[in-house]
Amino acid sequence: MGDVQDILGLERPPTPELTKEAILGSSDKLKKKQMQMSTPKVSKRPEGMPREVFALLCNDSKGVPPVFPTDTGQGYKQMKAKLGMRKVRPWKWMPFTNPARTDGAVFHHWRRVADEGKEYPFAKFNKKVPVPTYTDDEYNQHLQAQGWTREETNHLIDLAKRFDLRFLVMRDRWDKEKFSERSVEDLKERYYSVRTILGKVKGTSSADVKPYGFDADHERRRKEQLKRLYERTQKEIEEEQTLVTEYRRIEARKKERDKKTQDLQKLITAADNQSESRRIEKKLPKKKLQQQLARPRIDSVTVESTGIKFPDMKGSGVSVRSQRMKMPTNVGQKKIKGVEQLLQELGVESNPMPTEEICNHFNELRSDMVLLHELKTAYSTCEFELQTLRHQYEALCPGKVIDIPMTSEGQPGSSTETDGGKLKTNLAEIIDVVGSPGTPTSSHLN
Amino acid sequence: MTSGMLYGGDEIGALVFDIGHQSLRVGYAQEDSPKAEIPAVVGIAEDGNSNAVLQNDAMDIDDKKPDNNITQNGNKYFIDTTILHVARKGMEVTSYMKDGMIEDWDLFEKVLDYTYSKSIQSESMLHPVLMSEAPWNVRSKREKLTEIMFEKYQVPAFFLVKNAVLAAFSNGRATALVVDSGATHTSAVPVQDGFVLTQAIVKSPLGGDFISMQCKQYLQDSDIDLTPSYQIASKEAVKEKEKPRYVKKKIIPEVTQSWHNYMTKKVVQDFQISTLQISETPYDDKSVSSIPSVHYEFPSGYHQDFANERFHIPEALFDPSIVPMRGGGVGNTMLGVGHIVTTSVGMCDVDVRPALYGSVVVTGGNSFIQGFPERLNRDLSMRIPSSMRLKMISANGCSERRFGAWIGGSILASIGTFQQMWISSQEYEEGGKGQVDRKCP
Repeated sequence: MGDVQDILGLERPPTPELTKEAILGSSDKLKKKQMQMSTPKVSKRPEGMPREVFALLCNDSKGVPPVFPTDTGQGYKQMKAKLGMRKVRPWKWMPFTNPARTDGAVFHHWRRVADEGKEYPFAKFNKKVPVPTYTDDEYNQHLQAQGWTREETNHLIDLAKRFDLRFLVMRDRWDKEKFSERSVEDLKERYYSVRTILGKVKGTSSADVKPYGFDADHERRRKEQLKRLYERTQKEIEEEQTLVTEYRRIEARKKERDKKTQDLQKLITAADNQSESRRIEKKLPKKKLQQQLARPRIDSVTVESTGIKFPDMKGSGVSVRSQRMKMPTNVGQKKIKGVEQLLQELGVESNPMPTEEICNHFNELRSDMVLLHELKTAYSTCEFELQTLRHQYEALCPGKVIDIPMTSEGQPGSSTETDGGKLKTNLAEIIDVVGSPGTPTSSHLN
Repeated sequence: MTSGMLYGGDEIGALVFDIGHQSLRVGYAQEDSPKAEIPAVVGIAEDGNSNAVLQNDAMDIDDKKPDNNITQNGNKYFIDTTILHVARKGMEVTSYMKDGMIEDWDLFEKVLDYTYSKSIQSESMLHPVLMSEAPWNVRSKREKLTEIMFEKYQVPAFFLVKNAVLAAFSNGRATALVVDSGATHTSAVPVQDGFVLTQAIVKSPLGGDFISMQCKQYLQDSDIDLTPSYQIASKEAVKEKEKPRYVKKKIIPEVTQSWHNYMTKKVVQDFQISTLQISETPYDDKSVSSIPSVHYEFPSGYHQDFANERFHIPEALFDPSIVPMRGGGVGNTMLGVGHIVTTSVGMCDVDVRPALYGSVVVTGGNSFIQGFPERLNRDLSMRIPSSMRLKMISANGCSERRFGAWIGGSILASIGTFQQMWISSQEYEEGGKGQVDRKCP
């Protein structure tokens, strides 16, 4: 609390000192008040000093700490122990009766004379679980149930009373000679049904007995499952472990793939946006398209991150126009290098005359360059992945050869070979369906 | 709460008896250790003459047993270590216990008489009595005990608790699996909320006495002189593994075979306590031989180093299959300690199993063999599902584990809320002895 006040910069009221008298609550209030009055005013924190530092330096009760240790304080140096000055309260070995007992037995114990005659302090802990009771009529009218005799039910209720509804113990002490063996669930089921019925019959008189629906079958199934869980062999546990790790790996791979697809998606959208006028339908390899199917598209949000975004120079005051051509700081070193190299290859001046037009075009050009670069890398990774997958496929199904259109604009039908038309048509279908990434095909699939 | 009833304790001067197979522990509730530990065996001599006492026994036996004790059938009873260990003519040694339960009631009463007059030195009618019993105690014996306490000793109140419950209480648990390795048997007793789950008790006869027997067998097989110290007048120092040289006492009264056996067993037990150890992994000659051997000297003066045997003998507790059978073959079907525990828990409801494994209380004198809890821990962790949390609780202090059940009783009898549980003499008058089964679950 004090800390919070400090942070808020509030004036802190002097905390009452914790003394033995304060704990015992026995000393005269006046003295305490005087003490409070006499405590010196808390020194103010100087402007600009962090409060933590101040807290270290100045403890509000004592002011500035001493430079070297002194032994004038109280501490353990106090010569005489200050004990309570009051009269001792004598103890007496006295008889007592415990109201929690029904027989009025008298035992003896030590107790303060002042407490003589008071009620036994532990009697109030004598709590009993309310267990329903019933008369003959009630039983005959309402409580008869299949598989339970009157005697058995009586025994159950008796046990419930004796063991305070500890059903496990009740089952343990169940009279197996007289009655058939019952499971814990059987006992619970019967007990709770009796209680609910009686509660209903007796109505408001036992309003505190809330009906409790006990689902015995559910319990049995749960225990069965738990048992099976505990009884697994080491081998089964190991198998589960490997399955779990395998699952994790698959999950991780899937995530990675999804991420890649997203990146790709970003690039594509950027390219689409940038070259609005000369829109080219991009055909993507099969695998990527399938993932597009599965995932909703995220375009508008991520467009900005591809290419270079040059800031608008709208600041007040005068500025040089060449400033607009400056690479923004958030562009990576690698990208800048790539752009410079490309510019050199194309023979474009790296610092052209900054007329309005040139400025715009130059910036656009460089942005496109970055995009192109990124598309190229994406393309090559896709290509590489495609190759690996093909190798995997061939390894898994030897003898079969899958041929996939190698070029980005290759039409699906153009280069399929020996492995039968089925695969081919499948492939074609998929690609046809999602032919243009711009269309929201996924919406109806989700 | 009124001050003075702090911490929920209220002490009413109750006595706690913990009746074990090895000894009877007795003392006041609320204290941290019993006032007396009296062996559960009693010496009985045919007649009242005590002239056969070997040493100049300072204790006057007649003083020890006032009035009625001596007279019965002209028998004389010798109770407690000091008196029992004196060589006497014709003194037979018998135990009043059998299978963890009281068998010979007359003898037991003698011991109670002795306890009240010598250890407690107070009147029995002044103190409520809390007694421990074996978890498998039968109803007839419980009622008989109740009857004796109320009728003969006129106790104001009486209560019977299963010792496993007390052992759990002394370790601060109401739910626990109590592994009690005592003199005559090792048992696993599940306790839930202070109630023993009687259906799931598992016990095996492999206890301290069994180990003593194995030790004796081994020592005799290797020709080691087990002469108890009462026969030895003087001895000389001999080299290791040399034949002992000692002078036998000249005048020894004709002791009975049972007493001689008792004294020999003491020798073996001492050997057992000082040397035996349980290896942390299943017994294996190679790994064990790297552990330093232990030197032991017998009363006869014979001494030698013991190496592998000290691991091999107690290994039987955990792997009974190594015990040589009487027929000569090896292998038997008894359960090792780890197995006992898992079997017992396996018989309990699935819902309590985690709680039971979560507090496995190790108690009983036999668990003092070095390495016992560690080995049990290892065996259990191999057996139980890995998802289960296993926690072993074994009091480190010697007396805490030795008197585990007694301390539990001492705690229980001095709790304020317990004072309503006693069977009072009034209740006994009204309801008779039959209610012990209802009131002391």
